[in-house]
Amino acid sequence: MADFQLSAEGVEFVKAELKRYETPLSAVIPCLYRVQKENQGWVSPESVSYLSQLMDIPEAHINEVLSFYTMFNREPVGRHHVQVCCNISCAMNGARELTHHLCKSFDVKEGEVSKDGKLTITRVECLGSCGTAPMMQINDRYYENLSPDSAVKIIKELE
Amino acid sequence: MLKCKINGKEMEVPQGTSIIEAFKLSGQDIAHYCWHPGLSVAGVCRLCMVEIEGQPKLQIACNTMVQDGMVINNNSETVKDVVRWGLDFHLINHPLDCPICDQAGECGLQDQYMQFGKYDPEMAERKVKKRKVVDLGPTVVLDSERCILCSRCVRFTDEVSKTHELGIFNRGDRSEIGTFKDRPLDNKYSLNTVDICPVGALTSKDFRFRQRVWYLKTAESICPGCSTGCNVNVYYNEEGLWRVRPRHNPEVNGHWMCDEGRDTYKYVNRKARLLEAKMGHRDNWTLESPGAAAKAAGQKLREVIEAHGPESVALVLTGQYTTEELETAVQKFKGDLGSSLVYHWVNNPESFEDFDGILLRGDKNPNTKGLLKILEQEGVSLTWKDLESRVQQGQIKTVVVAGPENQSVFPDFVEKVNLLAGVENVVWLTACPHSVLDSREKATWQIPLKTYIEKAGSFINHQGKTQSFEVGTVIVSSALTLAEAATLLVGQELEVSSGDRLAELTRKKNFFTETRGAL
Ligand code: SF4
Ligand code: SF4
Ligand code: FES
Ligand code: FES
Repeated sequence: MADFQLSAEGVEFVKAELKRYETPLSAVIPCLYRVQKENQGWVSPESVSYLSQLMDIPEAHINEVLSFYTMFNREPVGRHHVQVCCNISCAMNGARELTHHLCKSFDVKEGEVSKDGKLTITRVECLGSCGTAPMMQINDRYYENLSPDSAVKIIKELE
Repeated sequence: MLKCKINGKEMEVPQGTSIIEAFKLSGQDIAHYCWHPGLSVAGVCRLCMVEIEGQPKLQIACNTMVQDGMVINNNSETVKDVVRWGLDFHLINHPLDCPICDQAGECGLQDQYMQFGKYDPEMAERKVKKRKVVDLGPTVVLDSERCILCSRCVRFTDEVSKTHELGIFNRGDRSEIGTFKDRPLDNKYSLNTVDICPVGALTSKDFRFRQRVWYLKTAESICPGCSTGCNVNVYYNEEGLWRVRPRHNPEVNGHWMCDEGRDTYKYVNRKARLLEAKMGHRDNWTLESPGAAAKAAGQKLREVIEAHGPESVALVLTGQYTTEELETAVQKFKGDLGSSLVYHWVNNPESFEDFDGILLRGDKNPNTKGLLKILEQEGVSLTWKDLESRVQQGQIKTVVVAGPENQSVFPDFVEKVNLLAGVENVVWLTACPHSVLDSREKATWQIPLKTYIEKAGSFINHQGKTQSFEVGTVIVSSALTLAEAATLLVGQELEVSSGDRLAELTRKKNFFTETRGAL
């Protein structure tokens, strides 16, 4: 794995975040988000080491935060990270079946990257959009009131 | 000062005292896993619950400060109930495999659940399986299932060793102690994490499964590893020493000691020791009892002095002996033999002044200050160069060396023995054998000495603090102390002691029946 480095703006962002809170530790979450964004959607061990240097926080402590929150990916993901909510409202509206359907349609196992590198499909807990269940989040966008067909269509239309 | 009442006992404590500290001061028991007097407060184990009059909810004692007039208890039924349930949460995923756990007998969790009769957790679910026997590093083994996530070890690596290796990764019942990328936990103080781990999650590679702790006795001593002089407890049985752990002394070592210091028990045990005196030279040794050998060597010393004068014998000392021994040795040598040739062997002059900022010092002798004091008191100020030139000129016929007890910290050991290769007689006083001594071509007496744990006396540490210690246990009973050896060498007899000390020794109580469960 090549060494990871943030863009110049990314570095600026981290520096600003570090000044923003009472303790530098508080800046770990926003900075990890930034890293994830600049590292194709996941946080690699190399990027943790990089961030540790940049923020002057021990790697172990960054890793504590990283491994605590599920919204950080510790394995590579596809260009489009499809997160299907399978919590109660969505589950009652067929979200689990939807997940299976999506995996089958795009020939990818849950949590794995599709062969063309386009997709990763994972189940997540409630995304706070229960009124429009079932729903999924692709990268930063919500797609609501899904049916198996509409979901497949949405994903197909992505590059 | 603040007035407070703890379990009915009136107390006065200074401002800024936490309730748990007040409990400790009052000498009353309070359960706690995450709080440690040498670390910051975490407040995560929720076991130190107390009831404070006038407050509807129970509070944790470790993170609540005493206020004036507080009435506090931890023996009401409410508190007991809460602690009992708190314990249950700790036991949800704890394997309770005490019979195969090295911590058994000195485990906070074991003591607590036994006290509350919680031999089985009240959960129907299966326990979460985690990693067992994780090789954390060169010194420590981790059993994740047993960990109660008190975070003491994490705080230790953050606050004391400042190496920051450990962290708590993942979440909820999957939380686990670990290192980033499974790197080794490898620092000079790593074994302190084993001491402070309240359960059997962290165990010492060196000690685990070698002894059950309740079969071991404890003696207080001083670490001979360097000039810091950490206060320690040594754990021993009739076979010898098994481990060394720090003993709290706020002025010297706080709650900690280094890993190197913990190894100092190894050369004390019989396997490493010189058990009988050896007289002769290469390929031709006769074994003798230490006392008889010292007398024979003394005979030789006097013959040499008669033939060549007192300036033909020299005494070489290391800072590895007690001040009392060194004083006797120098006095006998000067007073009774009449030679003023006394030299100080400095083992590692380049790194002698080093200090790692925590405890470890470059001066690997426990009593350099004591030796310097005695040398000054007896008016000796000869340089090592002086000895070298006298040896080269052949003026020295006999050298008596109080060799290092801990040979591993004397990198110049062989060099120094070789320096004396040409000297006709060498009397080498030593606790442990060394092959280079066995290959000496000229007349040699190797006389077994006792180690630090087998004698009483005092060391003066780098701060100039005199620390006394008593006989812990005796491993090689026939070995001599340096003072005894010096007495015999100058032709005097040993005084026979009344044996009181020995009687006291055998009466020593088993540490674990005394202070079971003290965390
Ligand atoms: S390993 Fe021991 S010291 Fe560390 S968190 Fe777990 S129980 Fe506490
Ligand atoms: S710091 Fe020195 S005195 Fe303390 S334990 Fe280590 S070697 Fe022994
Ligand atoms: S349950 Fe799916 S968004 Fe809330
Ligand atoms: S000792 Fe107070 S919460 Fe752990």
